[in-house]
Amino acid sequence: MHRLFKIYRILVAQNLKRVMEYKADFLTGAVSFLIDQAIGIAFIFIIFSQIPQLAGFTFEQIVFIYGFSQIPKGLDHLLTDNLWCVGYFIVKKGDFDKYLTRPINPLFHVIAETFQVDAVGELVVGIALMIYVSGSVNLYITPLSVILFILVIPFSMLIYTAIKIATGAFAFWIKSSGFIIQMVYGMNEFAKYPTTIYSPFIRNFVTYIIPFAFTGYYPALYFLTGQNPLFNIGGTVIISVIFMSIALLIWHKGLSAYESAGS
Amino acid sequence: MKAGIQSLIAYRMNFLGFAIGGLIYCFVMYYLWKAVFSSSGSDNFMGFSMVDMTLYLFLSNVTSQLTFSSVCDDVGEEIRHGDIAMRLLKPVNTDLSYLANEIGGNYLKFIVSTIPMIIGIEIYRTLAVGNFMFNIGNFALYLVSVILAYLISFRVNLCFGFMAFYVKNLWGMNILKNSIINFLSGMLIPLVFMPEFLRKILEYMPFSSMSYTPVMIYMGKYDTTEIIFRIAVQAVWAILLYALSKLIWFHAVKRLTVQGG
Repeated sequence: MHRLFKIYRILVAQNLKRVMEYKADFLTGAVSFLIDQAIGIAFIFIIFSQIPQLAGFTFEQIVFIYGFSQIPKGLDHLLTDNLWCVGYFIVKKGDFDKYLTRPINPLFHVIAETFQVDAVGELVVGIALMIYVSGSVNLYITPLSVILFILVIPFSMLIYTAIKIATGAFAFWIKSSGFIIQMVYGMNEFAKYPTTIYSPFIRNFVTYIIPFAFTGYYPALYFLTGQNPLFNIGGTVIISVIFMSIALLIWHKGLSAYESAGS
Repeated sequence: MKAGIQSLIAYRMNFLGFAIGGLIYCFVMYYLWKAVFSSSGSDNFMGFSMVDMTLYLFLSNVTSQLTFSSVCDDVGEEIRHGDIAMRLLKPVNTDLSYLANEIGGNYLKFIVSTIPMIIGIEIYRTLAVGNFMFNIGNFALYLVSVILAYLISFRVNLCFGFMAFYVKNLWGMNILKNSIINFLSGMLIPLVFMPEFLRKILEYMPFSSMSYTPVMIYMGKYDTTEIIFRIAVQAVWAILLYALSKLIWFHAVKRLTVQGG
């Protein structure tokens, strides 16, 4: 464990050096994600210029949910961005062999290799939005809820990671699975709004099948209302653990099915 | 063109992924707007009913598939890897070779994706409104407008692709480009919902020509004079952007140095 941590630190340091070397690159990336976020907010703003509330939520509450949902998304983006590359081209080009020849866990190595600073855009916006509305929204703040807040975010993040690992691993069978990651990952859009606006089928789908609702709306709902911690927070933890286990299972099955693409 | 068709077939899974991804997004937006309409308590929102809104969302999706251009990534990658040198060596106009390639793919998309989607949309509209509203004249004008929209989209993407001569983080640029286009073209939110002054500006920008104009024509929201005017705006932008992309190209190609071989 200690060794892994040390390796991780070295790899991250390498990444940061690269960032320092290509400052313009980092700026383009971070600014791009920042503008992307700003447009997301502008969208909510324009909608609310026409209506006082949406499905019983005020503008500030929706912004809080939106802001919260960006934190797990941003953290996953920061830490595990290389999984996209596994799906899109690492396996296809035969470059995955590299990870298999090293004396560390290939999954750990793939993930540790990239430290995606572009994610700063999402994280900064997410945090800023939550702080911005914290004054005008009646948040449920107790010692317990503060602890749960810190506790639940890594689990929400792992839902993203699990989905990327599972869908990325399909590349071991079909060479390139970027489109599957793209398709499934795209469903995170559902997490930004109250699930009560969807039809029952879609609501269940984003709760239990592709559980992005647990990366945004459900945990955020608890911090807004204090309701139902067992489902909103406990559910996040359980779903996260279940999905991570399934994802690791698929990954390992995939690894044993992997045949190098050769060149 | 043939090469474009072939590569679309080869990468059909990628196309399928994006097509399904786009549809999912439409559904998110559909439910969001449904909630907005029910919260607002009125069934008419700046001249848009919920049926209009649904048509708008799905037509925007269809239109964006047709006007989608990956030339930004293609050019970017070729510049980065130096493969662009191979294109420069060939005795064909560089941007036309990209264009021909894409038109092939788009032709196929029209057959396998656009037509079924349009049929689906019309079935929905017939059921929702109670009578058959398909207007062949509007559809023909829509196609003219879509072709212009595609040419504009191609040029805009080409200009962004040329940024690879100057910037290295193409992925970031891509995100930036897509989110700007989504917002300014009215794909995210119909321009009529935007504040008056912003709408006026955006209607004359090239982005609205890329999706909003064809969709509004299809929906019959414009009268004849307005249609002629909007299509003229599109044509002007197509020409201006053609000139701009040429300008950047000539400036950039002089700085091009290809490493290795």
